Amino acid sequence: MTILGLRNQSFLGAIGLNISAALVPVMSVLTVSSAHAETVLRMDEVPPGEADPARAAKIIDAILLYNLYDTLLLPGPGGKGYVPHLAESYSIDGKVVTVKLKPGIKFQSGNPMTAADVVFSINRMVAIGQGFSPLFKGWIANVEPVDDLTARITLSDTYAPFLAALFRLGIVDSKTVMANLQDGKFGEFKDYGTTYLNTHSAGSGAYKLVSHSPTTGSVLEKNPNYFLDVPAAAPDQVRFSYGLEGATEIASMRRGELDVISQWASPETKRSASQIKGVEVLGEAGIAKFLFLLNTKKAPLDDVHCRRALSYSVDYQSLISQVNISPKILGAKPANGPLMEGMLGYDPDAPASARDMEKAKAELAQCKYKPADHELEISWIAEVPLEERFGLLLQSNWAELGFKSKIVRYPFASYNQASSKPETTPHISQLSFNARTPDPDSVLYTLYSSKSAGLFTGATWLQDPEIDALLAKGRSTLDEKARLGIYRDLSKRITDGASTIFAYDVINTFPRSGRVSIPLLEDPAKNTKISGMNFTFREMKMK
Amino acid sequence: MTTWRLVTGRLVGSLLTLLGVSILIFIIARVIPGDPAAIALGQGADQEQIQALRESLGLNLPIWEQYFNYVAGVLHGDLGQSLYTNTPVAQDIARTFPATFELILVATLIMVGVGIPLGVLSAMKRDSRLDNVTRLGALLGVVTPSFVWAVMLMLVFSDRLGWLPISGRLSEDVQPPATITGLYLVDSLLHAQWSVFLDALAHIILPAVALAMASVGQAARLTRANVIDTLDRPFIEMARAYGLPERRIALRYALVPSLTPTLTVMGMDIAAKLGSAFLVESVFVWPGMAAYGVQTILHKDLNGIVGTVLVIAAFFLVINMVVDLLVALIDPRVGREARA
Repeated sequence: MTILGLRNQSFLGAIGLNISAALVPVMSVLTVSSAHAETVLRMDEVPPGEADPARAAKIIDAILLYNLYDTLLLPGPGGKGYVPHLAESYSIDGKVVTVKLKPGIKFQSGNPMTAADVVFSINRMVAIGQGFSPLFKGWIANVEPVDDLTARITLSDTYAPFLAALFRLGIVDSKTVMANLQDGKFGEFKDYGTTYLNTHSAGSGAYKLVSHSPTTGSVLEKNPNYFLDVPAAAPDQVRFSYGLEGATEIASMRRGELDVISQWASPETKRSASQIKGVEVLGEAGIAKFLFLLNTKKAPLDDVHCRRALSYSVDYQSLISQVNISPKILGAKPANGPLMEGMLGYDPDAPASARDMEKAKAELAQCKYKPADHELEISWIAEVPLEERFGLLLQSNWAELGFKSKIVRYPFASYNQASSKPETTPHISQLSFNARTPDPDSVLYTLYSSKSAGLFTGATWLQDPEIDALLAKGRSTLDEKARLGIYRDLSKRITDGASTIFAYDVINTFPRSGRVSIPLLEDPAKNTKISGMNFTFREMKMK
Repeated sequence: MTTWRLVTGRLVGSLLTLLGVSILIFIIARVIPGDPAAIALGQGADQEQIQALRESLGLNLPIWEQYFNYVAGVLHGDLGQSLYTNTPVAQDIARTFPATFELILVATLIMVGVGIPLGVLSAMKRDSRLDNVTRLGALLGVVTPSFVWAVMLMLVFSDRLGWLPISGRLSEDVQPPATITGLYLVDSLLHAQWSVFLDALAHIILPAVALAMASVGQAARLTRANVIDTLDRPFIEMARAYGLPERRIALRYALVPSLTPTLTVMGMDIAAKLGSAFLVESVFVWPGMAAYGVQTILHKDLNGIVGTVLVIAAFFLVINMVVDLLVALIDPRVGREARA
């Protein structure tokens, strides 16, 4: 039988030859296309990427913020203290914070940075009311320029975490923003430049935005007019790809088309990446904890003894082993309370969470409920498959005490709804919690204040007036020694109250290729302890 | 005139269908669990922030008022602001739709160019070794999920062999052609940018093949079945009796009437790909609308969900109309019935 006058075999052979011939110019194009003159760093992250510093909330947003914009202050080594960055000096006098800018700093547009830009940036952050604005909203009574380089911020009340909040305030070029306003709801400020800053940068940062799509990727290039010296070894260009699948990450890294894999990749992906030649997995500690939040308004967890029994019976080592990339590449370490290591109030001598069945049984004997009387609902977020494994482990551990439990999968949107009321919040919620600043208030207030009840982070429904009073005192006390005592007290109360099971301290892990060095991750002493800040590109070196 | 009336009638019906879809998806998006403002603001947002955002989105208004405000916006080309990307939904769709449409177009060409000829060949060589291999291959194409094909193709041709790119629509240092259609293959040809065309082709081959595999199998199986059925008809026997060559009988007399059911099913399949392509888009980092749509659902981005579904519904209606017109063209009996 013939088709079009050709025998079948010849026909198929002709097709094969034509395909091969067509591929030759394609492959030559690819070869030419892959050559680059400048150094390019390629990373992946989870979408969407937010380029507007006033709306930054996630890690990718923070990475963009710290590279496109600058902040007045930076944390000192190890995340401790405050180092002037844009500021030449700063002072606090009760409720008044005065910041003096370094002279001669210019934005990427060429406009000089003045105190008016600081005022504009703070007002903009508060007005837009998204991202890190809760760190400022309600605390700014007035902000005004004193002179060209000096800004005076008058707080509504004494607020000790304010300086740490400044780590999250990117200073914006007010002239550029005002020249690019679109219709909006902010009166004379229209949209406050939110449309423009969605795809452009108006900062002074060491890098400027070349292109940005929130769902697919961003391209940044060195700013040749940066006010500090940027080493030649720092990447000339940085390319982000958003939303890569695990197989794509591995294939890209193997081909040299990806240099850093996101911390959100699965342990299996990171394990595979660690086996690629030249790839090392870097760890970032002191920023996040993994928590099991216990709903203290729901029986039997309204009894502290039952909560403690559950806490003592968890197999923490097994939890940690599931997160570790390998025996040598750790993804977690034991936690010993609610605060991150190195934070004010952190107690290095506090015992780490550990399984102790004797103590668990002793606590259970004091609980007013019998384990078999209630079925615990252990929730897990559908978008985080690892949590299901944790749920199974908890179920197994608690069955040893006689507790019945069911593991319930919640799409994130459903969990968000369920956690808005105490009666619908599951008994157990799982949360990977990132500290927004190195100040202990950013952890303890967000998790344990009565105002957090009904939010993702408030699933304990603690609503304890004594805790609230201590949190308020921690905010209003400026003396560091006194604050240390307050936060130590708070940590102990929260730990003793067992409203939270501190599963482990997260070590964020990032497989990185041999083409790049990331000093802020490679040297623990340089860790800024702020999510996103360790990816300050001007500090990196391309090899 | 009657054909014009037919088309007009279909257009009016399509608009009414779109209206119904918009009401349905508007309600469903708001009934799905989750507070869109809380989800958009993320961990750390306080109640005041969430409430302020809810008010700015108009979520405190009665649902009917929200719907009328939305429709008023749509009539001005405004599909609202996406909470997921913080950009206008219309802008997001304008950016992502061409990428998915181009992917579907190439997948369709593969489906038609490979699936139908395979089906014809298989029917003509019924029960031969070729037929058995083709049928097995078609079954494999149908039962294997598209994302499995995507991962396998990527690992073999991009990762191991290094023949084709891993991700994206173009290489990093290749500038996209100036936009005429938004389809890089078409626009680069129109601008005579051959290297851009080849680069775009290299990038689209694997995702398009992955997306097309199930459809190729389905098209082959459907075409084979229909051609076999037609080849057994009396008018074919008559043609054979007249001494016409078997090839001519198959391609001219049997294939055309056999295409009607195949076209109808393929039309639905093509339209469905606009929503189902998201896994392939995810594997190949293809900046398309399907992946965007899934993310809007996961983030309960109300405007994004409604806008994406409306576009998919409109696409469905257009494709079905085109298919019906094609079928009427191929089979005059269908056209006459429709006009009657």
